[in-house]
Amino acid sequence: MSEDQPEKDRPVREVDGWAVISYLLGGVILYGGIGWLLDLWLGTRGFVAVGIVLGAAAGIWLVWLRYSKP
Amino acid sequence: MHRAGNGDALHLVNVAQAAEGEEFHAPGPGDFEFPALFGDGTFFTKPMLVIVLGTFAIGLFFYLAARRATLVPAKVQFMGESVYGFVRNSIVGDTIGHEGRKFVPYLTTLFCFIAVLNLSGIIPVLQLPATSKIAIPLALALMSWVIFNYVGIRRHGFIGYFKNMMFPPGLPKPIYVLLAPLEFFSTVIIRPITLTLRLTLNMFAGHLVLLLTVLGGEYLLVEKGGLLAVASVIPFAFSIILTFFEAFVQVLQAYVFVLLSALYIAGALAEEH
Repeated sequence: MSEDQPEKDRPVREVDGWAVISYLLGGVILYGGIGWLLDLWLGTRGFVAVGIVLGAAAGIWLVWLRYSKP
Repeated sequence: MHRAGNGDALHLVNVAQAAEGEEFHAPGPGDFEFPALFGDGTFFTKPMLVIVLGTFAIGLFFYLAARRATLVPAKVQFMGESVYGFVRNSIVGDTIGHEGRKFVPYLTTLFCFIAVLNLSGIIPVLQLPATSKIAIPLALALMSWVIFNYVGIRRHGFIGYFKNMMFPPGLPKPIYVLLAPLEFFSTVIIRPITLTLRLTLNMFAGHLVLLLTVLGGEYLLVEKGGLLAVASVIPFAFSIILTFFEAFVQVLQAYVFVLLSALYIAGALAEEH
């Protein structure tokens, strides 16, 4: 933006929406994957579902942590 | 035996359809496989040709723009400066800020390269977005990946970079068990994958849709005839509308790719806050 702006307070970037995807996907894939591996290892069912929900929640939380700051 | 019977039935169906004109083959992933241009045994294919032509076109463009740089710019120089200024002000300025100056040449080149290879999808005769072949976006994404990790490690040190990445401050300790692996995973592994897939699949899908409308229209016009030939106006009209839409998507995707590269570099450079 304009040259005289201090570096720290950059304008709020609408583009962050594109960057957020990797957190959301990452949460689901990582913790869903861990759950799936646990299921495979222990011969159970359900860890994969828990993992996906947990991962989605963690991903959303992380997005909030990273991008909610002014 | 059973298989042979099926084959016979299929053959009959084919014959029946051949009687009323050829069957319509919807375009698919097979349309992205190209034989070698200069016969068997050579390796040079159409996507490679597009890359070479695109590279030369960009090189020529910037050469002409910079050749006789004057204070009152000529048309080509003005266009070159516009592209450079756009990347510097609208992409780098908004994300990295002042210290982003040194990344502007890379990002400008990246933007032009992707935009031209995307737009080759709607340039007559070429009509193939070279970026729909996954190797190209993958190579570009890896380049951006190397750069943003490298500048991050240089700025914060190896341990400092990953500590900065994985441990956002101000959280109760046990939470890090959950969030730190996720930060690492999404930053180091998912980011280049989404960069690659977003560009590839946008170009892939756009090209397929264009193929479908054009081939469908052609099929109605040539193979069906009569009233259906008149109806071919509709897919042809759609193909024209979608071509403009594709042009928009192609430039937008180049912009998004470069913007995200800049954003990742900015994130790697950012101090802990």
